[in-house]
Amino acid sequence: MAQQANVALVPGFSFEGYRIERQLSVGGFSIVYLATDGEGRQVAVKEYLPASLALRGEGETRPSVSSEHLPAFRYGMKCFFEEGRALARLSHPNVVRVLNFFRANDTVYMVMAYEEGRTLQDVIHKHRGKLTEKFIRGVFVRLLNGLREVHSHKLLHLDLKPSNVYLRTDNTPVLIDFGAARQTLASDSPMLKPMYTPGFASPEHYQNRELLGPWSDIYSVGASMYACLAGNAPQAADERMRKDHLVPAMARFEGQFSDQLLETIDWCLCLNHLYRPQSCFALQKALTETPDPAQLATKRASWLSQLVDRFRKNSTR
Amino acid sequence: MKFTIYQESRVGQRRNNEDRIAYSYSRDALLTVVADGMGGHHHGEVAAQLAVQYLMDVFQREAKPSIDDPFLFLQRGFNNAHEAIIDYSVAHGLSDSPRTTCVACIVQDNVAYWAHAGDSRLYHLRRGRVASVTKDHSRVQLMLDDGLINEAQAAIHPDRNKIYTCLGGFEAPEITFSRKTPMEAGDLLVLCTDGLWSSVSGDTMNAVLGDANLMQAVPVLMNMAEQRGGPHGDNLSMIAVRWEDSYSDDPSSSIQTQAMAQGEVHTQMGQLGPLGRRQDDGRPDLSDDEIERAIAEIRSAIDKYAKP
Repeated sequence: MAQQANVALVPGFSFEGYRIERQLSVGGFSIVYLATDGEGRQVAVKEYLPASLALRGEGETRPSVSSEHLPAFRYGMKCFFEEGRALARLSHPNVVRVLNFFRANDTVYMVMAYEEGRTLQDVIHKHRGKLTEKFIRGVFVRLLNGLREVHSHKLLHLDLKPSNVYLRTDNTPVLIDFGAARQTLASDSPMLKPMYTPGFASPEHYQNRELLGPWSDIYSVGASMYACLAGNAPQAADERMRKDHLVPAMARFEGQFSDQLLETIDWCLCLNHLYRPQSCFALQKALTETPDPAQLATKRASWLSQLVDRFRKNSTR
Repeated sequence: MKFTIYQESRVGQRRNNEDRIAYSYSRDALLTVVADGMGGHHHGEVAAQLAVQYLMDVFQREAKPSIDDPFLFLQRGFNNAHEAIIDYSVAHGLSDSPRTTCVACIVQDNVAYWAHAGDSRLYHLRRGRVASVTKDHSRVQLMLDDGLINEAQAAIHPDRNKIYTCLGGFEAPEITFSRKTPMEAGDLLVLCTDGLWSSVSGDTMNAVLGDANLMQAVPVLMNMAEQRGGPHGDNLSMIAVRWEDSYSDDPSSSIQTQAMAQGEVHTQMGQLGPLGRRQDDGRPDLSDDEIERAIAEIRSAIDKYAKP
């Protein structure tokens, strides 16, 4: 189905005490704006606006929804409420905080805390493959603190990927966008099927959705760590299920990072959900284990000595 | 709250089915009801229907999202259903009041509360054993309690189907309440009519239901009971609930209520014959009222959990 682009609210538009500054991002179901509240604080305002169901033209503030699409539009709103409900109950430094929720312009809005920073996706792009092991471990161990909190509320994020990990200026991560966070209870409406970013969604996301669990978010964490090393997303899980071309981190990056980190990443990326770390805690434990210092040393060695090392290793086998 | 549930009611070899079953759940509470309309009296199915319907209606109104006092809810529910049946017989000029047995169970905050009147039973099965079972309000049960007969004699006693209390009729019902029973993951609650329990024992229920998928195991048990019921087999009905921990290995058919709205209630009335999985198709769209309530709920959660 062709999706018409919805027109975003214009900068300067004010409603419910918020003033739109600019559009931050646009997704299939929503538009996120940077706005200022009555006290001049910057906030992120997420507007529920599924592109396939509601259309807002130039110069309009209210979307028009055809009567045929109204049930699906309302159903999607329910999912948006689920996201709000999920986030409102979480209060954790590594999870985005919801400040307000209101109804306006014939749709609904969620106001979230906004902080200066950039997404992990931006960082990966900028440093393509040059992220240090220390940085990766530091970011992900703290990210897992947030994810643990999410899981302890019996919720799953289900759309974890570098662009949904926000890094504050001090590099502390914040989990954002819980748009896909919903439970198996909500059966999928065809018009509102969540669209996952290929490469970061687990095999259970595509099929056997009843198997979704903490291990599914952990696959996404593993894929995000892999992306930090490779500079781009690993092969999508549905393709891997047909033919697995993913080069294990251990084979691809050996010598550049500690074996222990690479093994942990490959562990998360197991296609069989039972073989992955089953909880955030298990993964965190692996990530906080100090790697062998000798291993870290090889990282700094030149490509030549790496090559020599590899020959040596092979010949002694 | 997480659980698997499956219900089925069959006519057996009778002409009509006077059993009625239903369950309903909100985010924090589950209600299951089984009623067996009494065949000797006119309109047994009307009494059963009224009892089930009444309890479901009240639950839908009051479980927002939990029931204040589950025992009080059951007591009022049974008594008011009894009154409703009498009102019905008066309104329709019936010479006798229709009657029904009733067993109902509420689970909330991992604690089960149940009550019954008559000989429809609740079995609480835990780790392969019958942890408890309701005691029928029958003369045979009294004789059994007094040691006048043994289990084997009770099973074939000619008066085994005669009960001395029920909903409807001219006397107020005698209601027996359970204890507050904490539920463990894997615990099973089986609510059933005499058409089922007279043919299969609690141990058989345990053996068949065990860790099996309830959607498959319940029909197996029903087949077994129907066969053993023979050519004059009674109506037979059961609701089986398996209580689960969050993130169990096989959540395929289980119901997770965590993300339900505070005032949201789903109800499934039993139908004749095998029932498929819970259907949500009949759910109405979100009304304006529900939107306002959802927003109010989210806002109060924001205030509650916001850091000062």
